[in-house]
Amino acid sequence: MSSDRVNTIGASATAPQALGAGRGMSAWLDRHSSKVFILPAVIVILAFSIFPLIVSAYLSLTRFRLAPGGFELRWAGFRNFDRLLFGSEQYHFLGTFGAVGWFGWIVMLGGAGLIIWWLVRYWISGRARVLGTIGRLITATVGFGIVVLATVTLSEGGAFGSLMVTLFYVTVGCSIQFAIALGLALLCAKPIRGRAFFRVVFFMPLMVTPVGIAYMFRMLADMSKGPLEPIWSLFGFADVAWANDAWAARMVVVIGDSWQWIAFIFIVMLAALESQPRDQIEAAQLDGAGRWQVFRDVTWPTIVPVAATVMLIRVIEAFKIIDLPNVLTNGGPGIATESMTLHAFFAWRTQDLGGSAAIGYMLLFVAVVICVSFFNLVVQRQKARFT
Amino acid sequence: MQVTLDKLSKSFGPVQVLYDLSMVVEEGEFLVLLGPSGCGKTTALRMIAGLEEVTSGRVHIGDRDVTDILPKYRDAAMVFQSYALYPHKTVAENIGYPLKLRKVPPPERDKTVREVAAQVQLEDYLARYPRELSGGQRQRVALARAIIRRPAVFLMDEPLSNLDAKLRVHMRAELKHMQNTLGTTTIYVTHDQVEAMTLAHRVAILNHGRLMQFDQPKTIYRDPANLFVASFIGSPPMNMVDGNLSNGEFTGPGFAHNLGRNLSVGPAVIGFRPEDCSVVAAGNGLIPAEIYSNELIGDHTLVTCELHDGSGTPHTVTVKMDKDFEAEMGAEIAIAIDPSHLYFFDRDSGERLRV
Amino acid sequence: MTAAAPNQPKGLYAKLFEPKRLGIMAPGTSVLVYAGLLFWTIVVLFPLYWLLVTSFKLPIDVNEGPRYLPFVDYEPSLHAWDYLLVEVGGDTFRPYVNSVIIAAISTILAVLAGSMAAYALARITYKPRFASILSFVVGIIAMIVLTVVAGVPWWLSLIVGLAIFALLARTVARRFNARLGNGDILFWMISQRILPPVIVAVPVYVMFQRIGLLDTHIAMIITYATVNLPIVVWLMHDFFLSIPRDLDESAEMDGATKFQIFFDIVLPLAKPGIAATSLLVLVLAWNEYLLALFLSSVDAQTMPLLVAAQNATRGPQWWSMSVLILLMIIPVVLIALALQRFIAKGLLVGAVKG
Repeated sequence: MSSDRVNTIGASATAPQALGAGRGMSAWLDRHSSKVFILPAVIVILAFSIFPLIVSAYLSLTRFRLAPGGFELRWAGFRNFDRLLFGSEQYHFLGTFGAVGWFGWIVMLGGAGLIIWWLVRYWISGRARVLGTIGRLITATVGFGIVVLATVTLSEGGAFGSLMVTLFYVTVGCSIQFAIALGLALLCAKPIRGRAFFRVVFFMPLMVTPVGIAYMFRMLADMSKGPLEPIWSLFGFADVAWANDAWAARMVVVIGDSWQWIAFIFIVMLAALESQPRDQIEAAQLDGAGRWQVFRDVTWPTIVPVAATVMLIRVIEAFKIIDLPNVLTNGGPGIATESMTLHAFFAWRTQDLGGSAAIGYMLLFVAVVICVSFFNLVVQRQKARFT
Repeated sequence: MQVTLDKLSKSFGPVQVLYDLSMVVEEGEFLVLLGPSGCGKTTALRMIAGLEEVTSGRVHIGDRDVTDILPKYRDAAMVFQSYALYPHKTVAENIGYPLKLRKVPPPERDKTVREVAAQVQLEDYLARYPRELSGGQRQRVALARAIIRRPAVFLMDEPLSNLDAKLRVHMRAELKHMQNTLGTTTIYVTHDQVEAMTLAHRVAILNHGRLMQFDQPKTIYRDPANLFVASFIGSPPMNMVDGNLSNGEFTGPGFAHNLGRNLSVGPAVIGFRPEDCSVVAAGNGLIPAEIYSNELIGDHTLVTCELHDGSGTPHTVTVKMDKDFEAEMGAEIAIAIDPSHLYFFDRDSGERLRV
Repeated sequence: MTAAAPNQPKGLYAKLFEPKRLGIMAPGTSVLVYAGLLFWTIVVLFPLYWLLVTSFKLPIDVNEGPRYLPFVDYEPSLHAWDYLLVEVGGDTFRPYVNSVIIAAISTILAVLAGSMAAYALARITYKPRFASILSFVVGIIAMIVLTVVAGVPWWLSLIVGLAIFALLARTVARRFNARLGNGDILFWMISQRILPPVIVAVPVYVMFQRIGLLDTHIAMIITYATVNLPIVVWLMHDFFLSIPRDLDESAEMDGATKFQIFFDIVLPLAKPGIAATSLLVLVLAWNEYLLALFLSSVDAQTMPLLVAAQNATRGPQWWSMSVLILLMIIPVVLIALALQRFIAKGLLVGAVKG
């Protein structure tokens, strides 16, 4: 793997103490250090990621059945995926398709137009490469698929499946979290008193277990017995049960998730703001730039690489959401708050191991396409531009 | 201990940065590797240290071939340009670290650390951290850490370049004194020709990965081997005037000089040092020129003169005159040069033409 | 032509929002800023306050609508604390100790293995053959097929799988010269974080069941350490890049082995990164729910499972949950406070260059 150098004894007359001979345990370790350093990580990741990935791939192509003295796996081909995409589980995974109205068609055509324009702009830019084109085509296909799916499930008579619910948590949740966290970080970066206090307090939600957050928000969101009851009564909402309304239930999940993760984004963005060079801001202020101009021209360019990376971390984690919907709403009403991980978990609980693995693979596919697209198209570019 | 480099070459992928460097550094010698940045001098040093793998060639320290031996077994100590002090260790721990790694018992280690610290006047700073020291003090810690091992060879990579000008002059003297006292073979890399001239027993000048000249500072100054060495050594540098050499006569802008020897090479360069020429009244000297500016430096005046080469871009030469010299800017003058201090070079190959 | 300096603006807006000099806030700005900060402080602290007061409530105080202030609105009671810590103390204590052991050891392992790999990737050039990796995957597939389809004992198929890998790597793979670089290895390690745990959970469950480690500390520790490893590699890699290479080389010249360099020189300098990364990994392991659900039932049950279990057949036991959640929050908050000054800086270096 690395250079093949030979260790020999430092035999020198002038050296007061020569180093120990190149023998024994520590010398052996030193000689093979390049492998010793990296192998533990490689082995555990191989064992716990590649291995399960292959087993899951196999499981997703089989039907699992308990049999006398154990279980049996029967080869099922792509029937598990077929069921999710076109069969009996379609409503659960993709959602219920409504009748697309004229507005829906406009949205879909507009989405298609935007995606095609984006591709064409890349091809005529003169930077087009084969790999880049393939990557962008995948991104475009998945992007268009999501637009179509969003349109048909949001149309009259349609309903979200676990795929759209997950995407809703990811997009809406992460946007809200980023906006609020950046705002808080900007406030904290002002010359305020007690910054250390606010920093610690705002960081605290990250420490709370998501299961705990879920119960906490169940208590808080209780319309008749929760602490906000007077406010709800005031507006006449005391009898409304949010848990019975799909959108209200989803929003409660997003709020709980945001309460926790704003802390993480906040702390990183604040550090980014604090580390930006003061002289640039002062120079801009001397040049007569207003508050907004300073933010746009000086602050934003210096923090955007950090923002892109921290949001990538956040998006990756957001795809895995399960604890909150499971505890807050148990996926309900109906399947309205069921994320893909939760969907897979329910499938596993009913001993549909093949279906569970198939959902897991669909989640992996969507998450990889979106995260890699985000990484290549946003994170890398911001870094190239500003560092 | 003697250090021998035998046809040392280094490539980074397709880029070759060092070509067949061969030299013998004598025991106790202070050798300076001098050259502009990117000439391969630091790479050569790092190959001697073992921090860089050798593409081809051999390195010997003493009579031992160390080419394939890990740095720590080469018995060479290195002082880095950044000093590379361990920020989380005190001065004493920094200096004593090589001994700690050699499992020297603590009492003995402390004693040695204190002795070495005294040598570099750091006794009072042993408990401090590097960040609490000035640049010069950090430099001394780095030296002390190298000395304490009493290695076969010192390797120094521009150790003075991060100091301010005054301190640099001071540390230069200290370094020279210390090396003389210890008598340890030292290989020192720098791009500063003054440092090279003042410190070295011998200087090796590198350019584009090739050895240009390897000799004592005096010889290099008096007898440069080629155009590059001539223009690199000396402050202010040697004046160069382009011209044509044919039939034993050098023709430059507005003047001609007869070599007294029949030589024809075509495009050539004539060189003379600022201190070997003087400004004289127009019509008297060798090269007609006009005064461009003059600067009083202290004990002398540097006069910049513009040649009439008709090219539009100012082509200037520098003349070192007495501190009382005065002249109007723009005045027509001439430059007189002692013919024995003229150097001739082939413009295409850069080689010295001995006449 | 020169641009004229804008005139000093006057009027109410200027009075409220133009600071008198740089470095201080104008009165209007100041009011808005503190209002915003106060609002979010309430948003963060009120739910935690509610947990605290709920933990001292009797069921009746919860069920009869909101009661805010102990001693004023209701009479605080220690019944939930007493029940969980004394009456069924053992049942609370065991998951708590499990959580501490599992989170602590898995964090140490993840940070150690992860930062070693991150350091190696930041300093040493690796050029693994693409074909060797393919042969490894072939070996794993062979092993799985043998175990699952042919029913061969797992240890036998492991040996066969490794043998196939070794055979292919030594013969066929030698012929192909395509190699990967450090960037590819790094990307591969980090990308493991994208893997949804739900994909991993079932096979890992089956694997531990086969080797009889289900519901044990060791299974949980290894699993948590592995799923958190990518985060450590990600954050630490750039931290190590930010440490000057001169220091490594200097130590190497001084005579240190690679391990001495790593533990003596590099790790102490990476302290902020280590602190921030450890905290993040610790929190993730401490709060993890899904994998615990799969891999533990009784002996290795962790706190999040116990919290979730309070949603019993008798309906949610809010007071008990509050106690348990508080018990879970307190130690991590204390650790976070202790590491506070490192966190921001440590996370930043990873995120800036990441």
